[in-house]
Amino acid sequence: MIAETSRPVFRVAGRRRVKDRAFTVFLWACAIMAMIPLAFITFYVVSRGYRALSVSFFTKVPAGPLDPQAGGIAQAFIGSGLIVGLAALFSIPLGISTAVYLAEYGRGRFAGAVRLVAEVLLSTPSIVAGAFIWAVVVIAMKRFSALAGALSLTVLMWPVIARATEEVLRLVPQELREAALALGVPRWKVIVRVVVPTAGAGIVTAVMLAVARGLGETAPILLTALGNDFINTNPLQPTDAVPLRVYAYARTPVEALHSFAWGGALMLLVTVLVLSIGARALSSRQQKRIA
Amino acid sequence: MRHGKALAFVAAVAALTVVGTACSSNSGNGGNGGNGGGGGSSSGFQGVALTGAGATFPDPIYEQWFHDFQGVESGAQINYQAIGSGGGIEQFTAQTVDFGASDAPLQDDETAALPGAAVEVPTVLGGVVIAYNVSGLKTGLKLDGATAAGIFLGDITNWHDPAIAAQNPGVTLPDGPIAVVHRSDESGTTFVFTSWLASQSSDWQSKVGADKAVQWPTGTGGDGNDGVAAGIAQTEGAVGYLSYDFAVTSHLGISSIAREDGAYVAPSLDSISAAGAILSFPIGPDTNILNSSAPGAYPIASTTYLLIYADQPDQDKGQTIVDFTYWALNDGQAIASQLNYAPLPEDIRTKALDALTQIQYRGATIQPSPAVAG
Amino acid sequence: MASTEDPPGRTTGAPLQGRSRLGDRLFAGWTGAIALGLIVLLAGLLVVLSAGGWRVFRAFGPGFFVGTDWNPVGGRESFGALPFIFGTLVTSAIAVVLAGPIAVGLALLLNEVRGWIRNPLASFVDLLAAIPSVVYGLWGLFVLKPLFDRTIEPALQATLGKVPVLGAVFRGNVNGPDLFTAGVILAVMILPIVTAVSREVVAVVPRDLREAALAVGATRYEAIRMAVLPYARSGIVGATMLGLGRALGETIAVSMVVGNVPKIGTSVFEAGATIPSWIASSFREATSVGLHRSALLALAVVLVMLAFVLAVASRLLVRRTERLLAGRTVERPATSVVAL
Repeated sequence: MIAETSRPVFRVAGRRRVKDRAFTVFLWACAIMAMIPLAFITFYVVSRGYRALSVSFFTKVPAGPLDPQAGGIAQAFIGSGLIVGLAALFSIPLGISTAVYLAEYGRGRFAGAVRLVAEVLLSTPSIVAGAFIWAVVVIAMKRFSALAGALSLTVLMWPVIARATEEVLRLVPQELREAALALGVPRWKVIVRVVVPTAGAGIVTAVMLAVARGLGETAPILLTALGNDFINTNPLQPTDAVPLRVYAYARTPVEALHSFAWGGALMLLVTVLVLSIGARALSSRQQKRIA
Repeated sequence: MRHGKALAFVAAVAALTVVGTACSSNSGNGGNGGNGGGGGSSSGFQGVALTGAGATFPDPIYEQWFHDFQGVESGAQINYQAIGSGGGIEQFTAQTVDFGASDAPLQDDETAALPGAAVEVPTVLGGVVIAYNVSGLKTGLKLDGATAAGIFLGDITNWHDPAIAAQNPGVTLPDGPIAVVHRSDESGTTFVFTSWLASQSSDWQSKVGADKAVQWPTGTGGDGNDGVAAGIAQTEGAVGYLSYDFAVTSHLGISSIAREDGAYVAPSLDSISAAGAILSFPIGPDTNILNSSAPGAYPIASTTYLLIYADQPDQDKGQTIVDFTYWALNDGQAIASQLNYAPLPEDIRTKALDALTQIQYRGATIQPSPAVAG
Repeated sequence: MASTEDPPGRTTGAPLQGRSRLGDRLFAGWTGAIALGLIVLLAGLLVVLSAGGWRVFRAFGPGFFVGTDWNPVGGRESFGALPFIFGTLVTSAIAVVLAGPIAVGLALLLNEVRGWIRNPLASFVDLLAAIPSVVYGLWGLFVLKPLFDRTIEPALQATLGKVPVLGAVFRGNVNGPDLFTAGVILAVMILPIVTAVSREVVAVVPRDLREAALAVGATRYEAIRMAVLPYARSGIVGATMLGLGRALGETIAVSMVVGNVPKIGTSVFEAGATIPSWIASSFREATSVGLHRSALLALAVVLVMLAFVLAVASRLLVRRTERLLAGRTVERPATSVVAL
């Protein structure tokens, strides 16, 4: 299975062969060591989380501590949808526009600066984004809200979508652009009607990955959306989210709620894995299309 | 995705429209609580949605109360997030929440920072317990303030120290190191405990002081009550402090504490409740029920307060807050003991109800609605 | 990896009519303005955080970076960032030491392997990057930490703890949250990105060098050692720095297993705190009446500065490798978005 483009003609001396074998063993050991945590986490999350899944888990809001099993975390699922949905609505146009600029017009120091800024924002710890939005939005609005939570996620999702989309746009063959331009189509129309749609699946991939990231973020929402024990669909009110519930229930003294934490973690894991795997499948199909 | 970009822009505009509509429909009632008056099977005020934040110590009983109160006023969705006493005061001051909750009374600088006068209403009592994990040592080890301060200062480092032995004749103390566990996060529990230590030891007062978070001279830190309980349980010879409701379920050894008259009292709902008798009104920055002189009172007891603005900007919200607090001070007290919180003594409860009358809307006192006042 | 060469969209076309030109101008201006918005966002973030932390910087000056106190008691306030810088560096170092070799090994393996196993293997590693931080934290708190307390940490203490000088690092009570557990979880979390970037770096190395080595009789190990690693070295360092940068910023997973105790210990089995974990655990309770909240914002500024320096340095190193070897025929793996 490991391809060798040429076989050694002479026998290899003992020590050299031992080193080579040891090296191969090391490489495969690395692979196994990388697989272990994934299997480990998946196993535990599934085995401890599935027990929490019930109809009331998805449809009821938390009951009091005297009878926690009677409730659920419905408000967290709806809240996550609201917050991440809003964040996507903000960051998709922003990210795609930035990517279009970088891929189609960007040359020189300004574009370089934008790329650098995107890199820095990408590696900015999420708690910092939360602190920033708290200081600006929560204080100004005098309230915690799903909107503030969404804005803090936008700070994180915008650069992800921008960079990923830029990569995909760059892969669109030059010939397509030149052909359209040669036909007299204005530049901006070429971008909007030809380049972007061609990169379509790749952009969807980028969005799916950004959404997967946004769904799993806890720290920024902790400081901006506050959390809520009730279902809330108003973007201007404090809202709950699944990662918030997992975080809170993991640390509560009420033992019965620990299983809810696992249940929430399981749902997060499943959703995020589905999005990531889907994104990968889409991106490899897209690459075959373009190539 | 032929017109993906255009769709994205349309979606953005739609989002802005949604937000704009929510904005305009939001003036008046906060969110999706029922409107005052309509809806619900019973007539009368049904309450609106509220947001509160603050102390973690009363979080379980508050959660239960908010849940049960919805049975009384179906529209009253009270969302309480336990972010700590300090956070509660902070958000209350910034008016990002409708009410706050704190285990410590407002200090002068905190009161000065408030945009308006606030009413502090005690709701329930609790205590701080010294818990330990020493093999062979049963529960009920007797400790007084000076000894406790010595342990937490790091001056007393061994379990068979004469100071401990003198208070516990007949108990075999092992010869082993004391491992102190304290809170590493801010909490009202720390505030109560360090206040008590400061009252018992001038050494403690000068070296450490009392606050929601202090710089501990010795020991390891635990995050939250659960972190401290776990820390004590995992270490032989460990000692730390926990809130009473937590300690009771933790299976750790619990100390009996010396009162100022020399008697030793074990923490219990009764001894904590007894301590509440000395709570003085009006609530001031130094108000506390530590070292209560009331008979049978546990020395390290504390109140927890709801923080409510005296001048309510929104009538429905103000009505809901008054109704809830009224209900909590009446029907709610009976539930408290089920969750290991001590109810307020009768005369204190009456005074707390009196304090409620300071809450007004446009100059007129908000009276509890018939649903709660009966 | 984006380079700074001409963007593909920039071509000279036939001259356009006036109205289309206006449309083009507007469109370019519009997208450019949004791109500018990204810069404004970062600038705003730095300004707001610095403004918030300014009171503390003014009160303690450069002493803030080396101070070891964290005393929010009114009247005795004293704040210093050193315990958190220490915790951050220790946990990140553990993460890099553990994840680095495995990532490089994986990258080399993925580069050598052909056939059906390649894509699934790469995908699995990337999936590790998708798992949310809070799930790592939950698993770390309830599964990994008890396991470590009972088995791995005592084993380490019995073996490495006996080594003369280094062993001091493994002393102490293994029970409870500690820097070591946090470091291990971080290692798992940064593995995907270090692997992905290392893969790209290794793939850029031209195959003919390797094949020449094999042709003269080198074993695969020797071929890689002679013809691949030397060229990929600075890029791999860059990849590791990128992983380090990620490790610096991980918040929730670390917060749940590190113990959040502001102190500088001597053993990796002691509890500690990293900058993000401490901000996460203290932020909601900190009051602005004193300096406490300002101190936390100042910590956030320190964190952003660290992350910024690492991000820039790592990208420079990776690009250097790519540029050195650019122009030869290379086979690049599918652009892994994980690398972003």
